[in-house]
Amino acid sequence: MLRILRLPALDQVIEILSAQESETLLMAGGTDILPRPAALASTRLLIDLSQVAELQGIALDAEGRIRIGAAVTHQEIVDHPLIQRKAQLLSMACSSIGSVQIRNLGTIGGNLANASPAADSLPALVCLAAEVALASPRGIRFLPVSAFILGPGRTARAADELIESVRIPVVTGRRVAFFKKAGQRRGMCCAKASVAMCAHRHGDGRLTKPRVAMGAVAATVISVPAAERVLADRVLTMAVIEEAAAACCEAAQAIDDIRSTASYRRHVVGALLTEGLAEIYDHMQDLARRQARRRRRRS
Amino acid sequence: MRVDIELGINGSRSRFAVEPDERLVSTLRDRAGLTGTKQGCKIGECGACSVIMDGKLVPSCLVLSASADGADLLTVEGVAQDGNLSDLQQAFVAEGAIQCGYCTPGMLLAGEYLLSRYQRPDTAQIKEAIAGNLCRCTGYTKIVAAIRKTAKKRSLVKSSAQGR
Repeated sequence: MLRILRLPALDQVIEILSAQESETLLMAGGTDILPRPAALASTRLLIDLSQVAELQGIALDAEGRIRIGAAVTHQEIVDHPLIQRKAQLLSMACSSIGSVQIRNLGTIGGNLANASPAADSLPALVCLAAEVALASPRGIRFLPVSAFILGPGRTARAADELIESVRIPVVTGRRVAFFKKAGQRRGMCCAKASVAMCAHRHGDGRLTKPRVAMGAVAATVISVPAAERVLADRVLTMAVIEEAAAACCEAAQAIDDIRSTASYRRHVVGALLTEGLAEIYDHMQDLARRQARRRRRRS
Repeated sequence: MRVDIELGINGSRSRFAVEPDERLVSTLRDRAGLTGTKQGCKIGECGACSVIMDGKLVPSCLVLSASADGADLLTVEGVAQDGNLSDLQQAFVAEGAIQCGYCTPGMLLAGEYLLSRYQRPDTAQIKEAIAGNLCRCTGYTKIVAAIRKTAKKRSLVKSSAQGR
């Protein structure tokens, strides 16, 4: 017999989790759970997290990091000015999730807990060096997203832990970022493969501290240090872009499944990186031209 | 074990005793008798069951009724006012944006939700707004046109009311 508890406070959830009742399911938006009725069939207690006060809101935490409550929806992230200004990559990635209906229900905490290799928010969170805050009777512990996600549907969350929030360090300076996704169509689509990238942009055309991560080409989201090494401290040129794209193809550990094939996935991550970097290249050329014009006018 | 919930539907509040795993779309159709909301895929893909819940467009097949306790809902039955079709509904009729009609309730609510967020959405924004609503007659062009015309009309009415 299924029982539903819609709890308003975090300590109530933690208390129930620490009692270790078997067959307890945590649900926020329900967009990954409810399409699979079998998931509810084996559940005795469903805890609806969507109203828990401590899991709401986007704001800076005491350490100056962006704190996104676990029950914050994808659409709230897309629309939030702080995310648009300081973590634009996440806003881009979340805007490609499902449809507006799905984004109004689905949450960032749910996307992490579900740990789909194809989850759109994960490559962005990895690039942004985000950490997952896990609450339990022992307090809160932090894990980098890449350490939290262990495999398809598997995470480092212990049975008595709850995803409380995601924390993103704020980085200053001029930045560039993109999230690119290959799918069957633009709306309501699960990625065949995805690539996220962010970096610092410099006036001389160089990118520094580049971060590249890919989705749906391995059992988990993966970062691509080989591509980051190619891009770091170099002026962005078509040759550099090609070299970085080759590194992405090389790093993909893709498989054949219902959505795509291993060979297409390996190919398309290179194409996605090329497309994104080419846009950044154009953007930087534009900026340089505009700056040159301003300088001429002044002299 | 049923769960007692209260829903505000199109401005009036009602109580229901629902099953714990019951979806909002079933409560609306089978308990409230509001069959304007259509059930399509049951997995949040098609948008036919879209309703506006507390100001947000959601697929009512992916909302547990127990989780909707206390919510205010707008369904297609609440879009017409006093028996008169809304301007958006009239635009759907005028543009021929209705073929079999199954997607229409969801499309209307997706359109209303968009217009509550943006005064003058461009075509790309309109397409994005109905990306979660499938029309299997594929009459998208006319649906987009109906939403665009309604947006234009409303913003003209609004600006003339402000004396501009």
